[in-house]
Amino acid sequence: MDQFIKINSLKKVFGEGEDEVHAFGPVDISIKSGEFVSVLGPSGCGKSTLMLMMAGLLEPTSGEIYFDDKSVSGPKNDIGIMFQDNTLVPWRTVEGNIKLQLELRNLDISKYKDKIFNILKSVKLEDFAKRYPSELSGGMQQRAAFCQAMIHEPNTILLDEPLGKLDAMTREKIRSDIQNLWMINKPTVIFVTHSIEEAVQLSSRVILISPRPGIVDREINIDLPYPRDLSVKRSNKFFEYVHEIQEVFHEYGVI
Amino acid sequence: MASSKNKLSGFLKWIASGWMLILFFVLFFLFWEYSIPLFDVPRYILPAPTEIVQKGSADIDKLIYYTGVTGLETIIGYAIAIILGLGFGIAISFSSILRRTLYPFFVSIEMTPKIAFAPLFISWFGFGLLPKVIIVVLVCFFPIVLNAILAFNSLSNELTLFHRSTGANPLKTFFKIRLPAAMPQCFVGFKYAAINATVGATIAEFIGSDQGLGFYISIVTGNMRPDLAFAGIFFLTLLGLSLFGFVTLMEKILIPWHISMKRINK
Ligand SMILES: Nc1ncnc2c1ncn2[C@@H]1O[C@H](COP(=O)(O)OP(=O)(O)OP(=O)(O)O)[C@@H](O)[C@H]1O
Ligand SMILES: [Mg+2]
Repeated sequence: MDQFIKINSLKKVFGEGEDEVHAFGPVDISIKSGEFVSVLGPSGCGKSTLMLMMAGLLEPTSGEIYFDDKSVSGPKNDIGIMFQDNTLVPWRTVEGNIKLQLELRNLDISKYKDKIFNILKSVKLEDFAKRYPSELSGGMQQRAAFCQAMIHEPNTILLDEPLGKLDAMTREKIRSDIQNLWMINKPTVIFVTHSIEEAVQLSSRVILISPRPGIVDREINIDLPYPRDLSVKRSNKFFEYVHEIQEVFHEYGVI
Repeated sequence: MASSKNKLSGFLKWIASGWMLILFFVLFFLFWEYSIPLFDVPRYILPAPTEIVQKGSADIDKLIYYTGVTGLETIIGYAIAIILGLGFGIAISFSSILRRTLYPFFVSIEMTPKIAFAPLFISWFGFGLLPKVIIVVLVCFFPIVLNAILAFNSLSNELTLFHRSTGANPLKTFFKIRLPAAMPQCFVGFKYAAINATVGATIAEFIGSDQGLGFYISIVTGNMRPDLAFAGIFFLTLLGLSLFGFVTLMEKILIPWHISMKRINK
């Protein structure tokens, strides 16, 4: 498959002089179309910073990002992003929030009626379509935000810890939902997470980021068959990957 | 049926939760009523509540008419202040030039007691409606404009990133994100201004007018009739409460989702 996203010596430094924070990089990453890439690293290593730069929402201090040989120079509107903090607005219902994404993009809402219902159903929120975010639990809000981020069916998806606030069981469920979604449409997914298991279970490749300022320490191809259900998760090979990654973070002293 | 039953139980609940306040008022007026003869307070200093009601009812036509006069000044001034305050607030939030010129100018004027301009306006514009309306606008405008600026400048980081990621045009972003997000903070300004509004109108009338509750109170006080002054104050309070109640109601209707209100209702 062709190379889709190319990141060259990308670096971000916040502030100036005394207040300078070297947050991230320099980093080189290339991602193929249809890959599921997890970005795994300790808190504060610059994962969200990387996401925002890829989305064109934050200007890099130096370096470039290319999508299909086109340099990112402003907000990218043709991708889907789920931000780390949810972007539900309190004055709209769950359904209204999903529609907000469509309205802001000038998409025809009437064509999305079924899709809205289906995506809500896939995260078990179909009975809460008419509820306001303040009436939902933290985990439910995150699921609603996931629907909001995905409704316009983007080909490239950036997910910043989408499962962070979910309980273990729902987490497991949504993981397999994300996996199914990916297996059907084969979007390119960049998935930020803290969870080693999650990264191994979902990704075709895991990128390990070192503590701040984050650099790519190692990339590990996960050579396991899809769908990765419970039987795969119980396999020795799965554990070997998990241990290999744990080892790396142990060296950093973060676990 | 069900809804009227709900309303009734809501009313009972309100009484139940407000009984302490009601009791306090009852005790307060009882104390007032009976301490007047007890301490032998002369009625030209402080009349008893019953006497205020009695003498006030005799003058009720005038009181109601004057409430209308003051009410009109208050409402016109308040409405103009909202329109101007929101307009300038939005303009300042979106223009960096205005933010560096008009904004510091407004902040520094905010420090001067606006009511000090009242005699000047009266000398410029006479005894009629216009100077009172201007004074009401002046005392209401600043809390509204300053809160509006704050409101339109404090959109959360996530929502800013979100709307930028969709590529929505500024107009759409304004009506679908910025405006609703700013409403709760704008209402803080509206409410504060509602309290200021009747104060402004009253003081303007004290200074120069031939009608209105402020005029009435200053005349009857000069005639050693504190009973009538209290009756006037009662109607002023009613006016202030109505305006504040109306704004609170509008808040409930326009932004029912606003969390701080939900918390209080619970
Ligand atoms: N706007 C900003 N101004 C200054 N420093 C920032 C800013 N945003 C992030 N940083 C700094 O950059 C570093 C990386 O932040 P980032 O949010 O990318 O981390 P992260 O890997 O996403 O962490 P987490 O897993 O906790 O979300 C942090 O040290 C943070 O303090
Ligand atoms: Mg982050």
